[in-house]
Amino acid sequence: MRLSTSAIALVVGLLINHGALASELPQRWVSAGGALSEWVVALGGEPKLVGVDTTSQHPATLKTLPSIGYQRQLSAEGILSLRPQVLAGTEEMGPPPVLAQIRSAGVQVEMFSAQPDLQALKSNLEQLGTLLGKEAEARALFGDYEQALQRQKNRLVKIQATRQAPGVLLLVGNAGGKPLVAGRDTAADWMLRQAGGHNLATHTGYKPFSAESLAGLSPQVLVFADRALTGEAARAALFKENPILASTPAAKQGRVLEVDPTLLVGGLGPRLPQNLEVLSAGFYPTLSEATP
Amino acid sequence: MTTLVKPRTLFIGLTLLCGLATWLSLALGPVSLPLWDTLRAALRLMGLPIDAHGLEQAELILGQIRLPRTLLGLAVGGVLALSGVAMQGLFRNPLADPGLVGVSSGAALGAAVAIVGSAFLGGLPDVFGPYVLSLCAFAGGLGVTALVYRLGRRDGQTHVATMLLAGIALTALSGSAVGLFTYLADDATLRTLTFWNLGSLNGASYSRLWPLLLVTAGVALWLPRRAKALNALLLGESEASHLGVDVEGLKRELVFCTALGVGAAVAAAGMIGFVGLVVPHLVRLLAGPDHRVLLPASVLAGASLLLCADLVARLALAPAELPIGIVTAFIGAPFFLYLLLRGRA
Repeated sequence: MRLSTSAIALVVGLLINHGALASELPQRWVSAGGALSEWVVALGGEPKLVGVDTTSQHPATLKTLPSIGYQRQLSAEGILSLRPQVLAGTEEMGPPPVLAQIRSAGVQVEMFSAQPDLQALKSNLEQLGTLLGKEAEARALFGDYEQALQRQKNRLVKIQATRQAPGVLLLVGNAGGKPLVAGRDTAADWMLRQAGGHNLATHTGYKPFSAESLAGLSPQVLVFADRALTGEAARAALFKENPILASTPAAKQGRVLEVDPTLLVGGLGPRLPQNLEVLSAGFYPTLSEATP
Repeated sequence: MTTLVKPRTLFIGLTLLCGLATWLSLALGPVSLPLWDTLRAALRLMGLPIDAHGLEQAELILGQIRLPRTLLGLAVGGVLALSGVAMQGLFRNPLADPGLVGVSSGAALGAAVAIVGSAFLGGLPDVFGPYVLSLCAFAGGLGVTALVYRLGRRDGQTHVATMLLAGIALTALSGSAVGLFTYLADDATLRTLTFWNLGSLNGASYSRLWPLLLVTAGVALWLPRRAKALNALLLGESEASHLGVDVEGLKRELVFCTALGVGAAVAAAGMIGFVGLVVPHLVRLLAGPDHRVLLPASVLAGASLLLCADLVARLALAPAELPIGIVTAFIGAPFFLYLLLRGRA
């Protein structure tokens, strides 16, 4: 019974794949992974999307598409019910048995890298360009991206010749409660460094911090990545609740910045260079005004 | 407590319910298949010579996705409910659940070790990955239960009360170890761990199904043979042994069957709470405490409840999916309360 069904699955798979090749490019896409979906949209693939996962929040129009749930906990039949030709996702997508079932139903499962580095982004964009029939646009996008990051780097070198990198802490999650501090080997750490900040946290991953060690580090800048912590009022409430946080040099001098937490998920996204620039301007307030 | 339903009626009803749940679980899903196609594909899967033309999709969905999932649901639901009966019989307490002897927390610890450990080692080859998690969960459950059982033994006797307390202590200990692993885990690992703890029948495959089906069949055939002994145990340990029951042997069997059954279920589908506690209770409310009825009826009721819960899990948010642990409690708890309160009025 099992043999015969898998044989049929194989035949169906071959038939559908063959059909896809014959009728050019796949027209029905399901995308799992925030940054990846943004790139699909940036390459003009939005009309082809028939479903996205819960981490795909940008642009806001994606939220109107059917949600396939969280990218690590996909459901085979749910995705198949959208009749996609391609399921695009990062290595964070899963669980593996579900991916195998989706593959056996003849859906092309395309894996991309969620690593925050340019090489991974380059191959991601090439792959996406081929699948969407937009090779030239993909190359152009990558070129612009690389240049933007290079400009950012040059600016930093110039600034850091005269100024020291400020000590920064990036706080994630549960507004009002105990925030988690971003340590080494996180996307947040990578972002802080690219923006020219010095991450004061030395642990790995996102860990809760005691108020005492937070005060001991005396950060010059605090960065919040939290959807519930935007705006002055929310921040004032947080400082009122955590007097230690309020006593840091950053809070006293009002050097508190925000980043969109969706930037920290799923590799390098299209909105990153612009956000790095904003962060940098916050890290080096006087000089960034001087440099265009 | 008087019985509401005669055993015969109960069995007929539960068999029908279980059959209906099985059919619904095969026939319904986010992909809508014509009923006629589903039926023909199902008959083809049973080996009947039916023209395969136009049935490819139905057969794929049915054979590769819904059938393994349904079988997994039947086995997990059945074995969890059976283990619940075994534990409630052993502790002579209707509030006992399989977690009491440490099997669930042990399995959770095993799974945490596997998930965090494999992430630490940089991931295992795909061929191993799922099996390592299942094996570690199974071994963890069995190991902690064995320890609880050993701690409960003194002078060749098993002290149920000591075992209960040892179970609570070891559950707390495993809980803190899982907590430590949670703390050490990175973001991605943490999410895998969280979802595993909520349980799911998602991604069921035949290769992970067979061991569980074997264990379930074994436990389901073995435990009903001890129904009379369990009935005697309801009177008390010394009374049971005066009636000629080998009480020590019975306790050992009950603990072993529970560890094996729950260990295998948790290894295959993650933590699914509530079924083991509530299903035996429900059946008892309907048909009284006689284990000759309670044991087989709980298998059917547990399997039906889990399949219904799974239907809700995969249809409610389609094309996304809810973890089933959320649904079992959501469906089961109000129904349970209703039965309890109705008795009072």
